[in-house]
Amino acid sequence: MNGKIVVENLTKTFKKGNVKAVKDVSFNVDDGEFFAFLGPNGAGKSTTVQILTTLINASSGKAEVAGHDVIREPEKVRRYIGVALQETGVDPDLTGREMLELQAYIFGFNKEDGKKRAQQLLEIVQLTEAAGRRIGNYSGGMRRRLDLALTLVNEPKILFLDEPTTGLDPSNRIAIWEELRRLNKENGTTIFLTTQYLEEADSLADRISIINDGEIVATGTPKELKAQIGNDLIALALKDQTQQDRAVQLLQQQMQDMDVIRKDEKILVYVEEGTKELLEVVRIFDQEQIGIEDIQLSSPTLDDIFLKITSEQKEEVKSHGE
Amino acid sequence: MGNNVWKDTWLMTVRNIKTTLRNPFSFIPNLIISAFFLLVYEGGLSGISQLPTFEGANYLAFILPVSIVSAAIGGAGGAGQSIVKDIENGFFSRLLLTPASRLAIVLGPIIAGMLQLLVQTLLIIGIAFLLGLKVETGFAGVLFVLLIAIGWGLAFAGYSAGVALRTGNAQAAQAGTFIFFPLIFLSTTFVPYELIEAQWLKIAATINPTTYIFESMRTALIDGWVFWDLMQGVIAIVVVCTITITFAAVSAKRAVSRG
Repeated sequence: MNGKIVVENLTKTFKKGNVKAVKDVSFNVDDGEFFAFLGPNGAGKSTTVQILTTLINASSGKAEVAGHDVIREPEKVRRYIGVALQETGVDPDLTGREMLELQAYIFGFNKEDGKKRAQQLLEIVQLTEAAGRRIGNYSGGMRRRLDLALTLVNEPKILFLDEPTTGLDPSNRIAIWEELRRLNKENGTTIFLTTQYLEEADSLADRISIINDGEIVATGTPKELKAQIGNDLIALALKDQTQQDRAVQLLQQQMQDMDVIRKDEKILVYVEEGTKELLEVVRIFDQEQIGIEDIQLSSPTLDDIFLKITSEQKEEVKSHGE
Repeated sequence: MGNNVWKDTWLMTVRNIKTTLRNPFSFIPNLIISAFFLLVYEGGLSGISQLPTFEGANYLAFILPVSIVSAAIGGAGGAGQSIVKDIENGFFSRLLLTPASRLAIVLGPIIAGMLQLLVQTLLIIGIAFLLGLKVETGFAGVLFVLLIAIGWGLAFAGYSAGVALRTGNAQAAQAGTFIFFPLIFLSTTFVPYELIEAQWLKIAATINPTTYIFESMRTALIDGWVFWDLMQGVIAIVVVCTITITFAAVSAKRAVSRG
């Protein structure tokens, strides 16, 4: 038993509607690593989590979690993992303490140890005061915290978290982040987290895989990915739309290291150092007498990253076709 | 390396009893309706037992099985309700992610539902005794009636759990409980078979297995130990249980499988 995840050529096709949710996905997560799956809604993140946590079977491919095959040895896998799905899985009619104790008993704790473990976890997620109240009366943030505590009952080697902070307010989000960091650092727990937020993956993960439309499109440390994408983003709108072709051409010629992409009526330029390059762009356009309607400098969002990656994919297809 | 089935079934059953008790409105209405049947029909219809077809039977003993079956079905339906609730609030998935025995996850609510049935049936029989019920076959007869109620409840629990596991949806499960009405009322509910006027109702009563449950219970309560009259209820239970429990098992297998 170890805290590794090994995934080879994993594919999941749902019979209903013949949807290919996960397409030939391969990746490894090392013991003690904090790994993030970053992607938009419907990218295949949750399906991957459901396969790795033994809830559903893959159509083909292989996956090993904590040293055990998820398809052939699901019972063994279940002992070593903790899972928080997108929807919190709690019984509103039990109290927080009862829910934790039940989870402990299921994992084989005896009465005394189960009670102790529940108390410990209530303290960690700061729910001791609400422990005797029914979960039905908890706020969304409290439920999430309890859900996290439930995943920790068996001291899992690997923690799977499917969008653990979606819908949470900033203070609850930060509390969860801190707890995840602590678990990863102090206990050496391997963490597999899915998220739609670049910021979240960036701030927490050692390594990120970007998944889009069932496929992994990029993998690397946050630093590597950013370097690939550019740290900053310049978004331009021209006064005269007819000049757009020429403007893009100019930028591509004169700023060769940068990625220039057209999006609707805007031109996006991915750059390393925003403030410096911004002046350069303005200088070029001024020289060529191209009027700028609006210009903005920002950090790239997840949307921008996808736009860039998918446009690169299209170009690849094009160049192969020629 | 799966978990111990008995221990897990115990944990799941205790938890289901707890949550049922915390939601009194999940069982009080059914209990009131069942008691209401007994009181109102006894109060309003007991005069018809003067008719010769009743052969001098006490109407209270005649109508009691209706009330019992209503309570039994209501109690057993609790099994389906708690399963649907678990699926809807994600607790079912949470359990599937643990090493808990898959069988225990499904059995827990069914056992709790059966216990709910037992308590409700006992309460109804208790009320009937307060109203002056006399049982021809004595204490053993009451036990027999109770066993029939449990058997019939089990058949209904299988049905309700099956629908719950298949749909995972409260509305669908709720719609499934509407079978309650034809099951109870398209039968020899108020009068013996010979007194039913409409031909269609006679046909319905013949098809409806509840008729044989009523007859079996009435035999024990009113007529005495008439073997084949008692057995018809037992046979109905065996047949229907075989169907509904199979349905529940297939649905359960599908709900916990990873297809």
